[in-house]
Amino acid sequence: MSDLVKLTIDDREVEVAKGTGLVETAAAAGIEIPVFCYEPRLGPAVGACRMCLVEVEGMPKLQAGCTLTAQDGMVVHTASTSARAAEGQKGTLEFILVNHPLDCPVCDKGGECPLQDLTFRYGPGSTRMTFPKLTFDKPIPVSPLIALDRERCILCYRCTRFSSDVAEDEQLIARNRGAYSMIATFGDEPYRAPFSGNVIELCPVGALTSTQYRFEARPWEIQDVPTVCGLCPAGCNIRATTREGLVKRVQSRNHPEVDGGWLCDKGRFTFPHLRSDDRVREPLVRGTVGLEPVSWDAALDRAEELLRGAQGKIVTALSGSETTEIAYGLGVLLRRGLGAHSAVLDESTSAALDACRAPLSTIGAAELVVVVGDDEVVDRAPIVDLWLRKARRAGAEIVTIGARGSVPAPVGGAAEALRDLAAADSELGGRLRASDRAILVWSGSGGGGGARLAEAAHALGFEGKPGCAVFHLPARANARGVAEAWAAAADADEADPEPIGLLVVSGDEAAGDPSVRALAERASTVIAITMFHSLAVGWADLVLPATASLEREGTAMNLEGRVQRLRRAVTPPVPDELAWLSKLAERFGVALSPHAAVVFEELSGRIYGGLLLEQLGEHAGLPARRPYEAPEPTPLAHSPEANVPEDHFVGTLRLLRYTPLFSGHQVERVPELQFQRPEREVALSTVDADRRGIATGDLVSLRSNGTSVELRARVDARLVEGVARLADEHAAHLHADVEVVKA
Amino acid sequence: MPFGTLKGFGVTLKHIFRQPITQQYPEYKRPVYPRFRGRHRLNRHENGLEKCVGCSLCAAACPSDCIRVVAAENTAEHRVSAGERYARIYEINLSRCIFCGYCELACPFDAITLGNEFELSEYSRDDLIYTKDMLLAEPIKRVPVQDSDLYDTPIPAYKSSS
Repeated sequence: MSDLVKLTIDDREVEVAKGTGLVETAAAAGIEIPVFCYEPRLGPAVGACRMCLVEVEGMPKLQAGCTLTAQDGMVVHTASTSARAAEGQKGTLEFILVNHPLDCPVCDKGGECPLQDLTFRYGPGSTRMTFPKLTFDKPIPVSPLIALDRERCILCYRCTRFSSDVAEDEQLIARNRGAYSMIATFGDEPYRAPFSGNVIELCPVGALTSTQYRFEARPWEIQDVPTVCGLCPAGCNIRATTREGLVKRVQSRNHPEVDGGWLCDKGRFTFPHLRSDDRVREPLVRGTVGLEPVSWDAALDRAEELLRGAQGKIVTALSGSETTEIAYGLGVLLRRGLGAHSAVLDESTSAALDACRAPLSTIGAAELVVVVGDDEVVDRAPIVDLWLRKARRAGAEIVTIGARGSVPAPVGGAAEALRDLAAADSELGGRLRASDRAILVWSGSGGGGGARLAEAAHALGFEGKPGCAVFHLPARANARGVAEAWAAAADADEADPEPIGLLVVSGDEAAGDPSVRALAERASTVIAITMFHSLAVGWADLVLPATASLEREGTAMNLEGRVQRLRRAVTPPVPDELAWLSKLAERFGVALSPHAAVVFEELSGRIYGGLLLEQLGEHAGLPARRPYEAPEPTPLAHSPEANVPEDHFVGTLRLLRYTPLFSGHQVERVPELQFQRPEREVALSTVDADRRGIATGDLVSLRSNGTSVELRARVDARLVEGVARLADEHAAHLHADVEVVKA
Repeated sequence: MPFGTLKGFGVTLKHIFRQPITQQYPEYKRPVYPRFRGRHRLNRHENGLEKCVGCSLCAAACPSDCIRVVAAENTAEHRVSAGERYARIYEINLSRCIFCGYCELACPFDAITLGNEFELSEYSRDDLIYTKDMLLAEPIKRVPVQDSDLYDTPIPAYKSSS
């Protein structure tokens, strides 16, 4: 076989595929080449730490093993068989330790530190260094989330390589030369980027540490729970570190097909919302003076009373962040028990996407990626952004079609753009059709939950090509699982629920949704299932406490259509949803197990073809593609498709709201994350700004229909004309057309 | 067998005229050896700062899992120990402790040492959980200790040479 090369490492013959790195080759032969800076996910090796020194026959000097690839007939001696390599390695470690402070008992990395481990295995027993070590100020806050200890840094450049080569935010740099070289942010600005937390995990010593985890626990006092992040539809695999019943940190758990071992800061740092002050810890009933805490028995009595009193005129507002099991449990109680089949979900979902599904990692290998939609990919499913960057680095062409796209399109014009692509005369469409490695991504609202995307992919013939895939980025983490579970709970058709007797609001996203609030105005009673007081006050007759995804046992379906398993990292302060749902279901004569695993078994038979929990495992696989079926509109959605702009008044701009990555009820409750939230600013196109004499940084006033908002302007050269783009949380009550004037 | 009975009484009679070897605890307390491992103490530096930095190595070494350490960060206004970190909570559950002294061996700062006190009985198990304040304080009861010149071994070479 020409694809294999044969070489000898430490007198052991090993055969590997051509192009394999020497470190992996040695590992395949059962030999360790110790490394600090080597990390294949960061791109080509740099050989900065010199820990991997090996002797290669025919080469006069010791070589950095990590920079070599396996060659046919190569003879390599690692430190275990070559005295020269061993001496070189020992010397390297001695040099690394010359200025390393050895404050391991204080250091957060102590106990899980590669430098500790490798010094123990390969290093000298004592030091010859008698001079004072180099000292720096410490700890330096690189950002409110990351502390930098320059004394401990061994200058492996993993963090700066991540910053420049993976996340491409170019913020961490190495300043100065030689022994005084140090890691810093550019201009000492805070490291503000959506993926900054990954450098903590990459650091092989305790130089970059999490401020949230600072001095919280040692490695031998913790339990790591493998689970899945529930904050965006990507469903990155995570490990929740718990100590004494509290989540202390969240780390990535490499699923090569989903996240490639990276994790965004939202997934990594928002866990403190679990212990937020305004968490609902007991059921609340509206009494004479607002919400009053009651016992669980009284709460269930009240719930039964409200459910019976509505006489079937019940509407359920689902969040799409529930686990599939909770949605199914709600469906069993409300649909089977009460015949209340009406439900709303913020967006539609589509199973037609399954015809062209593929792992997210397919993006990384693509040659042509077309992203349609008005939202930035990083705001919707951040990890997809890293895959796109990886594809671009590998030479792929990324075309974005949208309000800020490389191909400008009017707001809400994504569906039309897709239709144009699928048309026979489209140049880009033709290239998509011809390519074996083409990807379509929908990043924005509307589009029938991916239905338009699936139609386009079908028209472009993506189904037969495994390298071609489509990805729809929904706004809610488990929208599809929730919609399918609700649909599977009963067969009956939706009856007209007007006038609404009872509105059941499930989850925080639904509770914070203005359209659900509008629905509540029309309902005579409201049951809210929510985690936070502020979302419950003022409108609910009964508040039942909710749990967070880190506290849930169950499954969720991510945007690829992959069913992944969530595990309970910590016991919630309240009984979980299934516990009281099953109690309530009993009162209405329907059977529902309080155990997520049992519920999964039941619903799996209905929607996942009898998939077993055991089959999901630690790293869930992606089921095979399903034959294409023309999508039909899902009955659940109530959100309008992104409406096409009508003719607006001269001088007004169309408001383009977007939901930033760092927003939402969880992020709001984490003080350290506030610096990541978007500035109070509105983006204007160059033309619109010039016409109004507005420059970046000017204070402008946005007016519509009697309300106005003042913020800073930013001139965005990428933005299409006629649009004012700002974050949802700053838009307040502005209407679709706004007048922009300099304040 | 009358002879056997008499023999037994003979033994009793012999012991009546001997010195008793029973020690009248608690009126008389037999001195313990200097390196006897009794209840723990947490030590301070001469300037009053605590030696413990809350590294939890004692908890890791403890075979009976009776030590709980929760660390926190020193601030300029509230400095407890010499380094960046100190033990905010330090508890030893002495009802579980087997006095093996591994914690003392594991401690990189000689912050925890085992004292000589062994009179630790309480009426409630909860009272046997010693908090940081209790461990830092000098013990109220004192136990007589044998002459250390006679019984303690000299400082080992590995400790005195560096």
